[in-house]
Amino acid sequence: MRDGITPCVLLFAAFGLALAFAPRSAWLPSLGALLSTLAAPSIVSSGRGWLDAAFLGCWISVIIIAGTVQLFRKLPSWAALLLSIDAGAWASAVTSLTGSRLQVLAVSPCVLIVWPAVCVTRRYGPIPIRVASSWLIAIAALSGFLQFLPVTPGYLPDHLE
Amino acid sequence: MSITRVLALLGILFAAGPASAHTGTGLPGGWTAGFMHPLAGFDHLLAMMAVGMWGATLERPLIYVLPVLFPALMVVGAGLGMFSVPLPRVEIGIALSVLTLGTCIALAIQPPIWIACLIVGVFGVFHGDAHGKELPSAADPIRYSAGFVLATGLLHVAGIVVGSLTTRPLGATMARSFGVLIAISGIGFFLRAIIA
Repeated sequence: MRDGITPCVLLFAAFGLALAFAPRSAWLPSLGALLSTLAAPSIVSSGRGWLDAAFLGCWISVIIIAGTVQLFRKLPSWAALLLSIDAGAWASAVTSLTGSRLQVLAVSPCVLIVWPAVCVTRRYGPIPIRVASSWLIAIAALSGFLQFLPVTPGYLPDHLE
Repeated sequence: MSITRVLALLGILFAAGPASAHTGTGLPGGWTAGFMHPLAGFDHLLAMMAVGMWGATLERPLIYVLPVLFPALMVVGAGLGMFSVPLPRVEIGIALSVLTLGTCIALAIQPPIWIACLIVGVFGVFHGDAHGKELPSAADPIRYSAGFVLATGLLHVAGIVVGSLTTRPLGATMARSFGVLIAISGIGFFLRAIIA
């Protein structure tokens, strides 16, 4: 069984970083929409195919949400709301299929990275947050690649060996 | 059960190490292993610090474009490595990255933006290929990936901090001295890669 919590942590962190670029008035509706989507019953059913699709959707969402940090100087309120529903839906799908539905509530405070992100942006500008979001994109892209491999190639000798 | 027995039992439980049978194949997986991996290889460590240092000495927009570009191209390289797409002499590529980036810092070379991006991007692919081939088949490759991307990023940040010293008195000399040391290490890695 794959761990469903790590993708959610990355998804919420990416969403938190993106929210830092949205107007303050959009925060509460977006967080509300995220929690509502998480609480709503997942539309996906069990099965290996669904599990792979849910994980892939989750990684693509991390890339899209973190990508908005790279692309937008100011995130429109409507986009923040859409991203919150997207994040909630994929987190809900992954945790439903991996049986970690309740644990997702424990990691949902990762969204609160929005506060330190806002402080950092005020003091140093958007560059540190953009660099951090590029790391999330890299992790999500790598994890997405892994999904298409039958085994990861760790049995091969280390490049230092 | 007496208190002595309970304490003895607890003592045994806490003193026991993890069982090491059937640890799976390949490298140990998980976040900590991934985080420690770029720090354990001196060639990777120096190259990643050099990317941050060089970006900082070149200033905007390269101060953040290079540290964003490197992990992105590393992922491309890791993908090639994972799918066993052959790259020519990866070890030599990694050694050359240390040598080239060290030389650029030491000589304060300021190329056009696209050339700096091209240099860092190509070397990012080589580093990514090496890491991609080493992703563990056991344990948790996703957390391993998260660990090593974070460690890579923090090495860039460390390089940016050192590179930012150039704005202070003696800072430029210090940064260029670091560049010389990195380039000398690069020569060592290059010779080792050729001899191997």
